[in-house]
Amino acid sequence: MSNGRMNGNGKRSFKLMIVDDSNLMRRRIERSQQFEELQLVGTAADGVEALELFRRTDPDVVTMDITMPHMDGIECIARLVAMKPAIRILVVSALADKATAVEAMERGANGFLNKPFTDRQLNEAIAELMR
Amino acid sequence: MSLAGTERRRQLFTASIGTALMLVMGLALIWGFRLATHMRANIIALQTASTLQTYPEEISHQLNALRDRLEVRAYSGQALADLQATVKRFDQELRVLSGSVDADSPQLGHALLLWHQYAPVLEPVVSFGGQPYVDSDNAGSSLSREGREHYAEVKRAQLFASENARPLQTQLANLATSLERTSSAGATRLRSLLMGGVFAALVLAVVAAYFQLSRARHERAAREAQEQTRDILKTVREGFFLLDAHYRIGSVWSEALTRMFGRNDFAGLTFEELLEDLVPQSTLATAMKYIKLLWGDRAHENLMKSINPLGQLEITTDNGHGGKETRYLQFDFHRVMGPEGIKHVLCSVGDITSSVLLARELHDSQENANAQLDMMVGLMHVDPLQLVSFLDTAETGLKLVNTILKEPARTDAEFRKKLAGLFREMHTIKGEASALNLKSVAMRVHTLEDMVGDCKKKPELSGNDFLPMVLKLDELLAHLRNVREMAARVTALKDTSAGSAATAAADFAASAHAPLAPAPITAMAPAPAAPAAPPAPAAALTAPAAAAPPARSANQERPARRVEELSPALQSMAERLAQDHAKRFRLTLNGLAEVPAPYTATIKDCLIQMLRNAAVHGIEPPEVRRAQAKKDTGNVQVDFRRTAEGYELLFEDDGAGIAPEALKAAAVRRQLITEEDAELMDTRAAMALIFRPGFSTQEDITMDAGRGVGMDVVARSVYALGGKIGVSTHPGKFTRFKIVLPATDSLSTAVA
Repeated sequence: MSNGRMNGNGKRSFKLMIVDDSNLMRRRIERSQQFEELQLVGTAADGVEALELFRRTDPDVVTMDITMPHMDGIECIARLVAMKPAIRILVVSALADKATAVEAMERGANGFLNKPFTDRQLNEAIAELMR
Repeated sequence: MSLAGTERRRQLFTASIGTALMLVMGLALIWGFRLATHMRANIIALQTASTLQTYPEEISHQLNALRDRLEVRAYSGQALADLQATVKRFDQELRVLSGSVDADSPQLGHALLLWHQYAPVLEPVVSFGGQPYVDSDNAGSSLSREGREHYAEVKRAQLFASENARPLQTQLANLATSLERTSSAGATRLRSLLMGGVFAALVLAVVAAYFQLSRARHERAAREAQEQTRDILKTVREGFFLLDAHYRIGSVWSEALTRMFGRNDFAGLTFEELLEDLVPQSTLATAMKYIKLLWGDRAHENLMKSINPLGQLEITTDNGHGGKETRYLQFDFHRVMGPEGIKHVLCSVGDITSSVLLARELHDSQENANAQLDMMVGLMHVDPLQLVSFLDTAETGLKLVNTILKEPARTDAEFRKKLAGLFREMHTIKGEASALNLKSVAMRVHTLEDMVGDCKKKPELSGNDFLPMVLKLDELLAHLRNVREMAARVTALKDTSAGSAATAAADFAASAHAPLAPAPITAMAPAPAAPAAPPAPAAALTAPAAAAPPARSANQERPARRVEELSPALQSMAERLAQDHAKRFRLTLNGLAEVPAPYTATIKDCLIQMLRNAAVHGIEPPEVRRAQAKKDTGNVQVDFRRTAEGYELLFEDDGAGIAPEALKAAAVRRQLITEEDAELMDTRAAMALIFRPGFSTQEDITMDAGRGVGMDVVARSVYALGGKIGVSTHPGKFTRFKIVLPATDSLSTAVA
């Protein structure tokens, strides 16, 4: 991945941002991911908040909910990608509708994970994202 | 690709060998041609040389002959002519020979040299043209002066010839021998060359044969492979095709596509064109976006598979008989990689209609089972006696409906009368079902009511309009049977679990089987899934047996209890109504235990109807009440008591009351009265409007009010018992209905 940074130990490190309107889901993702090189820089509850957080923290990896108030995930993905083309976005959504997934991918998302998910599924999806 | 490479290399190899051989053969042939030409010249030269070697001797002979002639003074003309001819021929042929034989041939050189010495000697002889003799009579013929000179030249030539004819001849013979040797060597060379040529031709033939053979073998293999591919594509049940970077379908596709899409012009068709008439625009747009993503390499195959929007695509096609057919197709996509990234996308299409339908059927039947379970749970919360009472009433009501439907009718007015009757009956059943929280029944009756309502709107009516209702009615009856059957099971279950075999249960089971033979439970499956009936609110759960007053005569007990046990149902209905209409009120029920048997059904109907009216029209929303300085929670009070003349039921709510003007306006709107009528009406007459058939102030039709059936039904049933009904109201304060019923003894015959 192009935008991994080198930390002190010479290992790659990524800044993670979690975007989901459910507090529970945010914590779930935060706790379930098992990557040392992932550093949580912040969580956002909607698209507007996510953009604001992005400007401050410049994350490399984002997990993104679709259905959120103020600005939905699709719109948010498009804006994030416009600002940072190398950003990696994993859509985490309960929407069974495949059209949304296709739309998100078209806007620049890199992965898709259906809610509910297992820890293993989440970690596999994130690993795929950072490859 | 390595296979094709090997094949190509071998072909190249064969071709180059062939070309080399051809070149060799060509060169040999050209060389042979030159050799042959050279040999031919040689042979001609040889022949000439052979001929020439005889000439010097002949010339010598002829010179001798000429000399002899001259000596004997014989005629020498002929001999000279012969010599001239020979010399001339020799000179010519030697010239020709020297032109054709290599100039460096030493023999020829010598021969020419000799000849060049010889020729000048001969020249004066052959060019002699004079008269050699002079005739004199005394001495006969003698040589003339010319003759003498001529003779001397002949003798000189003869002398020269005797010295040089032989060497010349030898040189010419040597020349002939040399030429012969050259020819022989040339012939040998030509033969070897020809043999080499033949050999090359043979090798070429072998190579060509091998090449031809191997090509034939490969062609056969290719043809077989092609045939196999065709067979596979013809037989396979899935549709297969390749998409190129412009989303166009390739020229090879499986025939199953024809069956799926009803066309066979796939080659060159774009994916968009394939789907555009079969799916909605939005689906098509998503599909195209997805295909575009497939061609990008951003997402790996598994991810693409997981977001495939065409995994179960519903398409609508013509079924060939003018109708439409809905089928389900499953599209799968696989990237075909080439050396420079994605080369094609392989698309496989399966017709999964039957499995989708099967899954749906399974789902439906599960839903159905769940609905039954829900209904069962719902039934467990309903008092069995109430349920039986309802089922009996409903069945009777529906039989009445059936009778109404069967009544012969011809005129429009008669049909309309029928409709009105149907409407009233069904409205009553619906009300009771709602009160008992039997949503599945209520919903069905509601549907039936809708059908009647639609019929009413029709400008002209015929018997055919009633047919769908008959069908719906049958369905409803079947459903009621199911409910009864299930209720029996529930009761049995309750009994065994409670361990107390209440008489009610026995009654229940008996009545469950008596009036109608219950259909076996399995027969319910085809019926549409009943909407899930949520468990009744806690108020309805009060144990009925414990609440029943113990001291009561045997024949009075059951009917009386029915009304008494209606109170939990009414409470639950009140709660539901409050929730549905966003109202808040408390329902207080007094003295319902006093209701005598013959009045129970009527009282029940009236209470349900009035409660509904109170909740919908009477009690105001809390914020309105607050604005009017009333308590947020309204009150609905029911009192039943025995009086000197009989019985009295008071139903009062502290709601908005009824404004006579509003009643009039509604009646005009519903065209029950004209505006002129309305103006003439006094308050009393206006209030009486609410007992008119078809009257309602509600615009929207809901489950609870607005059908225009309500108080008129109440009034009718009260009148039927010989009773009276009255209403008093104070706008903004209250509405009070008063029903007066005669003592039961006085009308025992009327009700029985």
